[in-house]
Amino acid sequence: MAKNSPNTKIRVHFEPDNTDIIAEPGANLRETALAAGVHINASCGGAGTCGTCKVMIKKGEVESIKTARVSDEEYASGIRQACQSRVITDLIVQIPVASRLEKAILAQEKEAMVAGVQPSAALAKGWSFNPAVSKLLLQLKPPTLTDNTSDLSRLLRGLKQQYGLASISVDFTVIKKLARVLRDGDWKVTVTTLRDTEPRLSVTNVEPGDTRARHYSLAFDIGTTAVRGQLLDLNRGKVLAQSLDYNGQISYGEDVISRIAYSQKAGGLKKLGRAVIATINGLLQELTKQAGTEVKDICHLVIAGNTVMVQLLLGLDPKYIRLSPYVPTVNIAPPVRASSLGIGVEEHVHLYTLPSVASYVGGDIVAGILGTGIYQRKTVTLYIDIGTNGEIVIGNSDFMVTASCSAGPAFEGGGIKQGMLATSGAIEGCSISPSNFEPTLTTIGGTKPKGICGSGLINIVAGLLRAGAISQNGKFHTDLATGRIRRGEDGYEYVLAWAPETQIGRDIVFTEIDIDNLIRAKAAMYAGCQTLIKSLGAKCSNIEQVIIAGTFGSNIDIENAITIGLLPDLPWDKFIFIGNGSLLGARLTSFSTDLASDGQRVARMMTNFELSENTDFMNNYVAALFLPHTNTDEFSSVKIKVG
Amino acid sequence: MAFELPKLSYSGQIREIALGKGDKAVTVGGEMSYPFHLFEGEMPHLPKIAMEVYDTPPEGWAEAALEPFKGVTDDPVAWARKCIDDYGAEMICLQLESTDPNGLDRNAPEAAEIAKKVADAISVPLIIWGTANHDKDTEVLRKVCELCQGKNLIIGPVEEGDYKKIAAAAIGYRHTVAASTPIDINLAKQLNILLGNLGIADERLLIDPTVSGIGYGIEYCYSVMERIRVAALTQQDEKLQLPIICNIAKETWKTKEVKMPTEEDPKLGDAKKRGILMEAMSAMVLLLAGADILVMRHPEAIGLVREMIAELVAS
Repeated sequence: MAKNSPNTKIRVHFEPDNTDIIAEPGANLRETALAAGVHINASCGGAGTCGTCKVMIKKGEVESIKTARVSDEEYASGIRQACQSRVITDLIVQIPVASRLEKAILAQEKEAMVAGVQPSAALAKGWSFNPAVSKLLLQLKPPTLTDNTSDLSRLLRGLKQQYGLASISVDFTVIKKLARVLRDGDWKVTVTTLRDTEPRLSVTNVEPGDTRARHYSLAFDIGTTAVRGQLLDLNRGKVLAQSLDYNGQISYGEDVISRIAYSQKAGGLKKLGRAVIATINGLLQELTKQAGTEVKDICHLVIAGNTVMVQLLLGLDPKYIRLSPYVPTVNIAPPVRASSLGIGVEEHVHLYTLPSVASYVGGDIVAGILGTGIYQRKTVTLYIDIGTNGEIVIGNSDFMVTASCSAGPAFEGGGIKQGMLATSGAIEGCSISPSNFEPTLTTIGGTKPKGICGSGLINIVAGLLRAGAISQNGKFHTDLATGRIRRGEDGYEYVLAWAPETQIGRDIVFTEIDIDNLIRAKAAMYAGCQTLIKSLGAKCSNIEQVIIAGTFGSNIDIENAITIGLLPDLPWDKFIFIGNGSLLGARLTSFSTDLASDGQRVARMMTNFELSENTDFMNNYVAALFLPHTNTDEFSSVKIKVG
Repeated sequence: MAFELPKLSYSGQIREIALGKGDKAVTVGGEMSYPFHLFEGEMPHLPKIAMEVYDTPPEGWAEAALEPFKGVTDDPVAWARKCIDDYGAEMICLQLESTDPNGLDRNAPEAAEIAKKVADAISVPLIIWGTANHDKDTEVLRKVCELCQGKNLIIGPVEEGDYKKIAAAAIGYRHTVAASTPIDINLAKQLNILLGNLGIADERLLIDPTVSGIGYGIEYCYSVMERIRVAALTQQDEKLQLPIICNIAKETWKTKEVKMPTEEDPKLGDAKKRGILMEAMSAMVLLLAGADILVMRHPEAIGLVREMIAELVAS
């Protein structure tokens, strides 16, 4: 009865976004925020377990379940977990700094992307520039009474006579507009052809006049956290513009597993698909604007991403990726029309996704191997992409093995009491004085600290270990003459910054549990490498080059990463950082069908090791749960202060 | 051509560790080959058996386990003397069961006093074993170390959760430490490294890998102990080149199969024989996996194991 009465509608106001939305009574607060386009972090995807979605109820009432993530003090001050709250009355909700997404860092990375040059020692070589899509100018003779063959036959005849192209198929969409285009262009038209890796050639578009000068493509790396894109000039093989944005799916969970879980909810798969397409469309607009081009001149899309990201993009149910025996729907997806997915490009534009190897070894890794040309050289290379899902490849031109290990979210700041993404205010650099245990910190953006990011964790643990503040099992020495090591609510902790020195108004601490989480994450990565190396009957010393990919990887301090036992103890000059290997591979694939075929060859060449089924891995993992490692001989360069 | 036995050559040796004081002191370890592979290398010190003594009259024990100690179970000193005088014990292990906070919760000074009395009354090496409660063991074992200064006791269990304070006391008052970890070669090595960092000399360290009896996962213990020996003897893993102590009596005598009286399930045979054999056979399995010290209970089970050792080393 009261269904349409204004009293039952609730107005929720979000600060500092200054956004209002009308909600139903009892609506979930986090979902309400999402519906209003207001981002609130949620590492766990709204399960109530991570505590990253804390908000402050400034006015009004919510019905909220109090979990251990909210302290009594916080609760009394109006802090609630958004995902655990239902709206009851009109609300004013303040989203605190810690729960907000910071975009500033993306701008910084953007600059780095433009400046960044991949070291040429680690790039694919010897490929010819031959993009999958080509534009061909055709000058046709107009039909006459004596030559009254059909428009299509005339087009095909032209392609054969002028370019020697036979057995070519023509998309029906081309045929539909053919008559008009041919006449609009006065029998001078530009034909767009698409070469599949098979190889098979088809005409995908025809335009009046000569449009060959405007021939562009887009390359994207769809990461679980961020999407990075480049606009490419297919005539000159150049990057015209690049940009990045958070993957819109991030509001539905921070890792692939929580995304898969969300996709299983009613309408979840569609929502996730729409979220990432919206991100792509946003970047598409930005890239074309930056480059001064028009969307209609984009002829091709190449996308690399992990298997789950690709499946969500294509709208394929990722459910079985998560269930043993971990089978994806496709490894090599056929080119699809981008517009059919909702991507805002012309109907004729096809999207090519780099092939994947297995459920947890995706096209992003294949792209990295392709882009770095590991498969072309004899050099035995270890390729590591460090992240929530760490991927490892070892191989050269003769063989390639790969494994994926679940390191957990620690490297992205997840599962860490005061962890955060590598955005402004994140503690990144840290050294600790061995005499008085005082820290020297640097933060991203040089601001007051707000939390700790993944590369910061590595530096902090290495610093604590070197200073003799923790023992090799990651436990604090509690008898040291410093007030920074104290017993907190989660056991012993180290105070990195006192409340007045921070942005958040409370001490930034690093707890024994955090150390444990990092040790587990690094142990999974290292044990993965070790298991893979051992499975080849090889030793660490057989590795001739280590390529570290990923944005996170580029910020790692090699010495500290070796000190905590994340990276193998090899001479520093063997390590090469290549930044985003996935985007690199996607770009090169867009430039060359040779490389597109190579990509499929690389994917087929890789043998995937399922570490979760490997007993050796478990043993190596326990051995790696020590700083730097139980087998100290493997880290002879690391000197630990004892006593 | 005569048959030649294929032989393994070893690159490592188990450290020799001296336990106790005076003419009844013993040395364990020193192996240069896998257990009883005397055709490959020497075993200079045969495995030793320590007999259990409890600091409080046992409750709920099988009749067979109580019988040999009638009249002395309420006096740890008399119990220890009986083990040595009547049953020829080379070592004693005093189980400080009464200190268990979930049981009698006897305080540290009293418990240490008992340990001291036993230590004073015997001349064979003495093992003092706590209840694996980190807080309580820290209190009790530190007190024991202090009160029994200079006796070179073996103090255990020292675990990752309480090693710092107990080991510090052991260093200070010159005792040997049994480093106890839950059935894992890596964890065992990690704790040894941590103890080493703290200043415990390798000559004062034993490995307690944590064991169980037959029917309760002994295969797994066997495999872990075997791997410890492989790493120690063939992979120069110094932090694992240490003698192994196995607290097997408690593990076998607490099982249902050992406690069940004959009448309850005649198919299982005579209860006394059953218990003795369970203990003896479990002990044998551990010996073959590399045990250097066995903590045992029943004199007859001990007799069987001694016989077996003698036969294994007979030339």
